[in-house]
Amino acid sequence: MLQFKLVLLGDSSVGKSSIVHRFVKDSFDEFRESTIGAAFLSQTIKLENEPDVTIKFEIWDTAGQERYKSLAPMYYRNANAALVVYDVTQADSLAKARSWVEELKSKVSDKDLVICLVGNKVDLCEDGSEPKAVEKEDAESYAAEHGLLFHEVSAKSGSGVSAVFQQIGSKLYAQKKDSLAASSQQRNTVNVELQRPSTNDATSCCS
Amino acid sequence: MKQFTIEIAKSDINATFKEPNDDMDGPVKPRRTLPSKSPSVPNLSQVFRATGPSNNLFKLKGQNLSQGHEQSGQNGLGLSYSSTNLSLIELYNDENGEEEGNESLSASLPEEVGINAKDVVPQQEVIPRQDAGLDDLSHYDRYGFKKQSNYINENEYDGWWKDYSQYCIRRKRKWQSLLEKSGFPMTTEAPDRFPPKSEKLKRYVRKGIPAEWRGNAWWHFARGQEKLNKNKGVYDKLLASLETKEYERRENSRDSDIIERDLNRTFPDNIHFRRRPNESAEPLMIQSLRRVLNTFSIYNPKIGYCQSLNFLAGLLLLFMDEERAFWMLVIITSRYLPGVHNVMLEGVNIDQGVLMLCIREYLPHFWHRIVNKQYSHNNQFLYKLPPLTLCTASWFMSCFVGIVPIETTLRIWDCLFYEESHVLFKISLSIMKLSEEELIHEHGPASKNMSQDDADIEVFQVIQTFPKKLLDPNSIFDRVILKRRISLNNLNQEEIDRCRKYVRAQRLKYKNYADVLGSNPKSNGERNALVELDVVNDALSSEVYGFRRSLTGLHWNNSIKEKVRQIRKK
Repeated sequence: MLQFKLVLLGDSSVGKSSIVHRFVKDSFDEFRESTIGAAFLSQTIKLENEPDVTIKFEIWDTAGQERYKSLAPMYYRNANAALVVYDVTQADSLAKARSWVEELKSKVSDKDLVICLVGNKVDLCEDGSEPKAVEKEDAESYAAEHGLLFHEVSAKSGSGVSAVFQQIGSKLYAQKKDSLAASSQQRNTVNVELQRPSTNDATSCCS
Repeated sequence: MKQFTIEIAKSDINATFKEPNDDMDGPVKPRRTLPSKSPSVPNLSQVFRATGPSNNLFKLKGQNLSQGHEQSGQNGLGLSYSSTNLSLIELYNDENGEEEGNESLSASLPEEVGINAKDVVPQQEVIPRQDAGLDDLSHYDRYGFKKQSNYINENEYDGWWKDYSQYCIRRKRKWQSLLEKSGFPMTTEAPDRFPPKSEKLKRYVRKGIPAEWRGNAWWHFARGQEKLNKNKGVYDKLLASLETKEYERRENSRDSDIIERDLNRTFPDNIHFRRRPNESAEPLMIQSLRRVLNTFSIYNPKIGYCQSLNFLAGLLLLFMDEERAFWMLVIITSRYLPGVHNVMLEGVNIDQGVLMLCIREYLPHFWHRIVNKQYSHNNQFLYKLPPLTLCTASWFMSCFVGIVPIETTLRIWDCLFYEESHVLFKISLSIMKLSEEELIHEHGPASKNMSQDDADIEVFQVIQTFPKKLLDPNSIFDRVILKRRISLNNLNQEEIDRCRKYVRAQRLKYKNYADVLGSNPKSNGERNALVELDVVNDALSSEVYGFRRSLTGLHWNNSIKEKVRQIRKK
């Protein structure tokens, strides 16, 4: 089983916790208490395109308010993936998401960090209760430009949520497979070097 | 004594009926038409009068009591809650008290209400019909919170409450006799004066203030009236300024946006706060909460609005009127948790640093689980806070609201207002001490082979869920807070204040070093690299914080020990 650390970022009340709860518990609450500080959850999935591969996501869900931003480095330190969430009915939440993407790009040295831009609450536009403030094409082209994965989801209906994690999982697995292959080759050579002194010194260490 | 609680219930209801007349001549201020005032604690009716109550409030209160049982089910919406909670707290106690006598309970209630206490559970009767139609109110506790949570089921709750409600009744009797002995004759109202601070009173507070007295007691112990007297009319002015155009134009109207988003995310499971989908009317509690948070954000621009204040204000509003709740919020954020909610959250980081020092001092085993050996010998953990602090920071920001079950939260608040903020540190250490058993049980003793990342996650998971199961306040209070002769008792307010000063200075010093060294670190990454620098390291770890320890009556100070060692070296 592969383990990956994933962090959720995004403006307040865009639905970060709701996405996690849909993914982890397959449940939804219309009104969920605001997240203070952080919450940790985990969920294991099987990859659809690689059924033998199970992936455990260790998820850090964070508070969205601007001032909590100073705590964020603690979460995204060592993260393998980041879900940057915005609310499709709130234009300024996409601006906030962009600033998160910039922060991640400038502060995380890991080139393999998978960032996925996620537009939440599409159900509100589908049932006509809220106008759509962020067009899918705009967000999508921004994501493509910056090398991000992109999805529109509804934590309420559940639509699109598992696809997000499937895609992130596949991408992480593909990366890992390459680096595993590379490092196992490396390890073999290292092992040979290590074995030499240890066998030679078998007697000398006792004397 | 047997009759006492019953008399309170009776007189409160009578008072409620009389009050419209008492207040007819008072001028009605516009805001009062949305009755701000404590929906929960009836005994505060005196206070309502003092701060200028609305006729509406009492009219609707009366309406509710007489109409609440009509089949039509139309009642004063949120307003009707005001009278219910009073009765909830009082009647629930009576109902569960075997000695209190249920016959006299039904006899003491006004005719119109027509409760037959033998047939029905009281709180089902006093809650508005519309709610009763959709929900069985036996699912809610005396404050309107859902009994069941992700960690506690309703059976567990009811089983525990059976005993704990008896405990509450016993404690209330003790309080009554204490107050009487101290020369405060008991009336039917909740007392608004309390004896001067003493060891005995402290013990009483630690064992729990009677629920229906809490509003008054917190206000008294936190010296709220003093604050209010110095600021007469300020709250009204702030409210008025919310209406002005100037306010709408303000740059930081961002605060009011976030407040708006958080209103329905504050106690969504509580009957006083929740908003049902498809229900047009907004609960009055939510309206009060909006006013308190918005006025506070203008009153203290250094804080503005910080997520977590919604929970503090929300809980206060269940126990006191809007104006008092506002001033209590001011007191909490300035006196007890200075800087914690500020825009930069520096106060949180300081308090987390203090907590880390306390863990190192009092819970050495736990300390080794959370701090990498290479950081533990010096003070690096004061700036590079361990990941656990992402969880514990919320304990301080919300003063345990939502962190532990409600009755436990309230017991902590009793102590907080009486003993000040060191209580929060003590409780935090207690939770860790208790959860350590679970950690060992589930994961075994701290393993040396485990990576710090894995160890962090292991600890984080336990620390994040363990407190949510602390249904019985006594499970923590009896074992830690009320226990005599444990080292934790040395941790007093003076120590915490000293410790806060030290951590603040150390963090500032670090920042200055970083500046002097030529780069103003903006990211933690750069910051961490800097910390590695020996020069900073040495400079910063030269001063060790020394906890006072009472050993055979002497205060032993670690920093003295350290200094002696350094002198010897030279």
